[in-house]
Amino acid sequence: MTTAVALLGRRAVRETFRMPEATIPTLFIPLFFLAVNIGQVSKTFPSSTPWLHGQGYVAFQTPVSLLFAVCTATSGLALVTEIDNGYFDKLLVAPVRRSSIIFGRLAADVVRGIGTATLVLVVALAFGARVKAGVPGAVAIVGLSALWGAAYAGFAILVALYTRNVQATNASFILFFPLLFLTPNFVPFDRLTGLMEALARANPVSYVIEGLRSLVLQGWVLDKLAICLGVIVATGLVLTWLSVRAIEGYDR
Amino acid sequence: MTSTVPEHEIGRSVVTEPVRDDGPPGAVKARGLVKTFKGGVEAVRGIDLSVRAGEVFGFLGPNGAGKTTTVRMLCTLLPPTAGTALVAGLDVLARPAEVRKRIGVALQEIGLDPVQTGRELIELQCGLYGIVGEDARRRAQELLDLVGLTDAADRRTKTYSGGMKRRLDLASALVHSPEVLFLDEPTTGLDPASRLTVWDEVRRINALGTSVFLTTQYLEEADQLCDRVAIIDAGRIVAEGTPEALKAEMGHDVVTVALDGADAGATAAAIGALPGLERVVPEPEALALYVEDGPSSIAEIVRRLDQARISVGAISVSRPSLDDVFLSATGRRLEGADSAESPPESGGDSA
Ligand SMILES: Nc1ncnc2c1ncn2[C@@H]1O[C@H](COP(=O)(O)OP(=O)(O)OP(=O)(O)O)[C@@H](O)[C@H]1O
Ligand SMILES: [Mg+2]
Repeated sequence: MTTAVALLGRRAVRETFRMPEATIPTLFIPLFFLAVNIGQVSKTFPSSTPWLHGQGYVAFQTPVSLLFAVCTATSGLALVTEIDNGYFDKLLVAPVRRSSIIFGRLAADVVRGIGTATLVLVVALAFGARVKAGVPGAVAIVGLSALWGAAYAGFAILVALYTRNVQATNASFILFFPLLFLTPNFVPFDRLTGLMEALARANPVSYVIEGLRSLVLQGWVLDKLAICLGVIVATGLVLTWLSVRAIEGYDR
Repeated sequence: MTSTVPEHEIGRSVVTEPVRDDGPPGAVKARGLVKTFKGGVEAVRGIDLSVRAGEVFGFLGPNGAGKTTTVRMLCTLLPPTAGTALVAGLDVLARPAEVRKRIGVALQEIGLDPVQTGRELIELQCGLYGIVGEDARRRAQELLDLVGLTDAADRRTKTYSGGMKRRLDLASALVHSPEVLFLDEPTTGLDPASRLTVWDEVRRINALGTSVFLTTQYLEEADQLCDRVAIIDAGRIVAEGTPEALKAEMGHDVVTVALDGADAGATAAAIGALPGLERVVPEPEALALYVEDGPSSIAEIVRRLDQARISVGAISVSRPSLDDVFLSATGRRLEGADSAESPPESGGDSA
């Protein structure tokens, strides 16, 4: 079981490196976001704004860019492509647990997430953001982002397994927009209108942003980090469990 | 229709051979296998199969006959709608994990990971079957040599030609020296030389003790390679036996009378009870007469047609082929039979 996960994980990671064309486009939006924020929005919110804790708006927005970078449909797309070309059948007919196919993919998501999150963070730093929690804080930001990416990957994997359709899996990425924008992504919770605030508070993604943002702006705020980690783990468990169930039940 | 084949000529009955309850389980034993897809397509309509340990078994049928569906059910990839199947003595539904350890599978749709190299793909395959480290490297090299991919081993599989992909896929089905090997149309799309290579490989694997279940649309492949064949059409097995027995059962010689517009019924009536006539099978635009002695029957056939003032086209004599068996069972010729009828050395399709 563990051997199979390791083998399939290594293969998926190798695929990531050999198919940069699958990863590079996912970086456009987060980097574009950072650039827009430094160029324009930062004039609206000067660093004297209280909730910016003395930093520029880029720092406030960095977590949003990080989530954009790590939340992808890449694993789902890889899986549906494999279903399409028949290699998936080869894996299903091998004497390994089907769940190792999923775990192999998630392993690659963590590795890819570490890479893209590091890149986005470095660009944010270059644009003037500073991590209040220091170097360990930066490591935590990258780690939490990558974990969230793997947790969220289950969603596209589910779409892939249920629809077996490349376009549908690709389109599943769209869902992330409402999830990401119904959050305190532009301004803090208390600056949102009543309805928006209620929606944002019900949206788990908000707490991931809040946790990452606290590391950037405030340092080690343990309760925010605990909630952030809790949301990541819970989302990961639910989506991964559903994915494993879907693959175990595939054509059965 | 006359059918006066002497009893000793019948090697095996044309009707499906029932699976016997006694005896060893063999490589594959299926009974009453049915697959009805969502939407109501009855792909497989209750087939019984019995593949003995150590034999090469051919599953011959036209497009859409249900070959792939059957293979997928036997390989644990698709649950049957009804019926049971034992592969390597194990129930595919009750013990799929154990079945998977014992079978090798090369499906019709060649499934390769395009961004891995051939070597990586085989080594990964080894790992999935519990062969790791130095053993995996050695086994991969051995198999790559075997299928003639040593030079291309370190290229990504997306750069491979169709034939190379097939050979790599075949190699990947062999990493663990399976007890039963399933090959779904292993030579479709191969050039004649590659086809012969695959045949040789199948024979070699079989000689080492692996039972082989292969599907094909090619009569010649079934004839040359298989110890026994089952012919499937529209989800049902219409004939089963050794190629020799199936052909022998058809009769000695087949005289084909091209009708050229003549009426089939009238022509058959005119020929009537020809001496030595074993059976008459109508074909599109022709009549196939199975007779004891073809050459000497021709004169009599021509005389009788003349007498009845029926003019026909060409009259030819040949030995019965598996296509005649198929024709007799279904009333149709096997689609795609033409390309297989030419020997692999000459002409044919290319990869
Ligand atoms: N997933 C599916 N859903 C619905 N119908 C299917 C499915 N797979 C196969 N069929 C149908 O079942 C029948 C048998 O298909 P199958 O693939 O088993 O034929 P085959 O003998 O392998 O043909 P070929 O020589 O073309 O490969 C066909 O009519 C096909 O359209
Ligand atoms: Mg098929």
